[in-house]
Amino acid sequence: MTSSGTLTPVSTKDDDLSALPVVPARHPWRWVGVAFVLVLAAQFVHGLVTNPAWDWPTFARYFTAQSILTAVGTTIFLTVFGTVLGFALGIVVAVLRMSKSPFLSAVGWTYIWAFRSIPLIVQLLFWFNISYLYQRLSLGIPFGPEFVSFETISLISPMGAAVLGLALHQAAYAAEIVRSGVISVDRGQLEAAAALGIPRFRQFRRIVLPQAMRSILPNAANEVISLFKGTSVVSVMAIGELFYQVQVIYGRNARVVALLMVATVWYIILTTLLSIGQHYVERYFARGDRR
Amino acid sequence: MIEVLGVHKSFGSLEVLRGVSLNVAAGEVVVVLGPSGSGKSTLLRTINHLEKVNRGYITIDGELIGYRRRGGKLHELKEREILKQRKDIGFVFQNFNLFPHLTALENIAEVAELSDARHFLERVGLVDKASAYPRQLSGGQQQRVAIARALATRPKVVLFDEPTSALDPELVGEVLDVLRDLARSGTTMVVVTHEIGFAREVADRIVFMDDGVIVEEGPPEQVLDHPVHERTRAFLSKVL
Ligand SMILES: Nc1ncnc2c1ncn2[C@@H]1O[C@H](COP(=O)(O)OP(=O)(O)OP(=O)(O)O)[C@@H](O)[C@H]1O
Ligand SMILES: [Mg+2]
Repeated sequence: MTSSGTLTPVSTKDDDLSALPVVPARHPWRWVGVAFVLVLAAQFVHGLVTNPAWDWPTFARYFTAQSILTAVGTTIFLTVFGTVLGFALGIVVAVLRMSKSPFLSAVGWTYIWAFRSIPLIVQLLFWFNISYLYQRLSLGIPFGPEFVSFETISLISPMGAAVLGLALHQAAYAAEIVRSGVISVDRGQLEAAAALGIPRFRQFRRIVLPQAMRSILPNAANEVISLFKGTSVVSVMAIGELFYQVQVIYGRNARVVALLMVATVWYIILTTLLSIGQHYVERYFARGDRR
Repeated sequence: MIEVLGVHKSFGSLEVLRGVSLNVAAGEVVVVLGPSGSGKSTLLRTINHLEKVNRGYITIDGELIGYRRRGGKLHELKEREILKQRKDIGFVFQNFNLFPHLTALENIAEVAELSDARHFLERVGLVDKASAYPRQLSGGQQQRVAIARALATRPKVVLFDEPTSALDPELVGEVLDVLRDLARSGTTMVVVTHEIGFAREVADRIVFMDDGVIVEEGPPEQVLDHPVHERTRAFLSKVL
């Protein structure tokens, strides 16, 4: 830069920039965008309020009806059990899949392959009807003696079949989410833990998992929310969850739109709560990132 | 204290260590020098069994690392037993490898009692940073926490793999101060570094490696000022 031999003075005493006022950059197009969106939103709300087809009185009558509340409870129950059991099994499957033993790894891979291949609805109907396939379930040596045996019907109720199906299905996806989180953790972390002689299980629980949670959580939240709405699939088994219940009611009174809105608003409320929860859990696991 | 005997190590067809033997006495400080790719890191990593050797063996305080001798055969140890052996071998990484989700104190408390952990933080002069997360610390402070953590298992030897080469120049000094302190207190240390001045001042012995073998070794004055080997001379003329 100095090779040209001349240096131009950049600033002098009577040209002090720090004394000048600052004018922020203006964004007129942003205001156009805001106006556009506001007009659209106003029209939408106007339509909701004034169009009698939405049938808000019916909505109000059913929104907190006992039958609907019970159905919401069932939906939450299915989501909670599907998530907890699904992720518990998913962690096991992920660990199998990442095992150094080729056999165990193949077992994990096969599980994920199988349960991702079978449509959830098929799987649910299969569990629902398993008592036709096997009247009795027993634990024992193949071709040899049985130790314990159960009536399938008494062991697997429709609700049990629903939870089982959702959890097994969820586990396959959870396993891949957990695995993606674990492989995103820097190898050096495991090396440091190994160099310190920290036992294997503790390495996983204390070092790898908390860091993996950072990338597991957004995906897991997606899964929980999608499972939460996915529970509507079990309506094929005549289980009284939210979606089944509104179908039953509008089957009787033909107020389809109002009752679908009842279900929709409940799904929105609960998803919102889950999203808020997600925010706080994520913030907890990001604690090492704060400055 | 450390005995490395005839160690060979290959990655695929690349032979990285080609018969390395090294003895380190208790309380001795050995500095390993050598050009990039000469196998210094690999040597350190075989000592705590992060890498398995293909031939030769390593003992720490007379205990065979990674194997058990039984009936004329070497049996591989279970991972659990290897992890236990590693408590005797502290390892400090070039890029610290602190656990980012744990505070400085928690990083150390992962392998020590809380009161001990505090003591080791004090030893590297960082008690006031006990509740800071690694990202809130400077590189030099992070490496000092990593050193405290490596000491917290009360190892018999401590291995350092280029502990200052990820640091800005003005932060190198504080880490070398800690190393100097350890050396003075009689810690058995093997240090891979490019800090020749530090090597001259602190090392009891300097080992020069090139191309997977130890080319020459001896006290600092001898190796640094009157190197016998052509390759040592060539290396020193570049770094001095
Ligand atoms: N895991 C690995 N797989 C394959 N090759 C490897 C592996 N680790 C090291 N090497 C190779 O072994 C050789 C020695 O590597 P090493 O890291 O021991 O060198 P170094 O002396 O520590 O070098 P530097 O001063 O750059 O750290 C290099 O050629 C490197 O590419
Ligand atoms: Mg190296």
